[in-house]
Amino acid sequence: MKILVTDDSRVMRQIVIRTLRQAGYDDVDIVEAEDGVECLAKVGSDAPDLVLSDWNMPNMSGLECLKALRAQGSTVPFGFVTSEGSPEMREQAAQAGALFLIAKPFTADTFRDELDSVLA
Amino acid sequence: MSAPITHLLDGETVTAVAGEVWSALVGEEEYLVPGYGLDGPPVAGPSAWVTVTGPWNGLVVLTCDQAGTADLTRSVLQMRADEEATEEDVDDVLRELANILGGNVKSLLPGPSVLGLPETGAAPLRASDEDTCRVAASWRGHHLAITIQGATEAPVFTTEVPL
Repeated sequence: MKILVTDDSRVMRQIVIRTLRQAGYDDVDIVEAEDGVECLAKVGSDAPDLVLSDWNMPNMSGLECLKALRAQGSTVPFGFVTSEGSPEMREQAAQAGALFLIAKPFTADTFRDELDSVLA
Repeated sequence: MSAPITHLLDGETVTAVAGEVWSALVGEEEYLVPGYGLDGPPVAGPSAWVTVTGPWNGLVVLTCDQAGTADLTRSVLQMRADEEATEEDVDDVLRELANILGGNVKSLLPGPSVLGLPETGAAPLRASDEDTCRVAASWRGHHLAITIQGATEAPVFTTEVPL
């Protein structure tokens, strides 16, 4: 099992990975990307089972990345982990094909609630 | 154009938002002790901020005293006692805290709004008192301030003091 964690903040990638461990996903492989462009490339090269992505990033946002993935025919499960979770954003995320949107701050319980069904 | 921030948010709400962010990111047992508002003493230290663009336009700014930024970084990154936080670590942690505070504040404002990417540096000049909501607080004895301030073409005030 492999998860691609995408965030322009190194600190936030570290916190997401730590939270994954705290949520019990100890044995998943983690791949990291710094923006949507790198995420797009790594979905192709690393074939992750799940993408966890920030929304607001330089070069290519998480939403643009998800739309590009779907336009290429990729069906990789994709969820947002972002600092804002307005109803408009949740709607945009769902329309683009995201499975969930986790708003920061989050807990290990939040991760388990959203990820268990995807990684089962 | 939206009403000024003081008509949209109050210090109590900002304190509650900041408390949730602190317990989730800094540590479950970490608490912010609320202090003064706009009239409180300035906080001397670096700042990080994000812009909010929408019906209300402005910045969400986090300023923390220098020693506090290092302790914050160590807590957020759960560093060992013998580990030193680098400047990059400190900068990244401040940015992320401002980003999350900004995102949560934005969700309380009239929308739709867009959040900018976080920046760090000396605290930006701010608009009038009516379009500024400032919460000063302490954490482990360190002073910090969270200021939600309207954008202004001719900023005339400053509260926090850069080092």
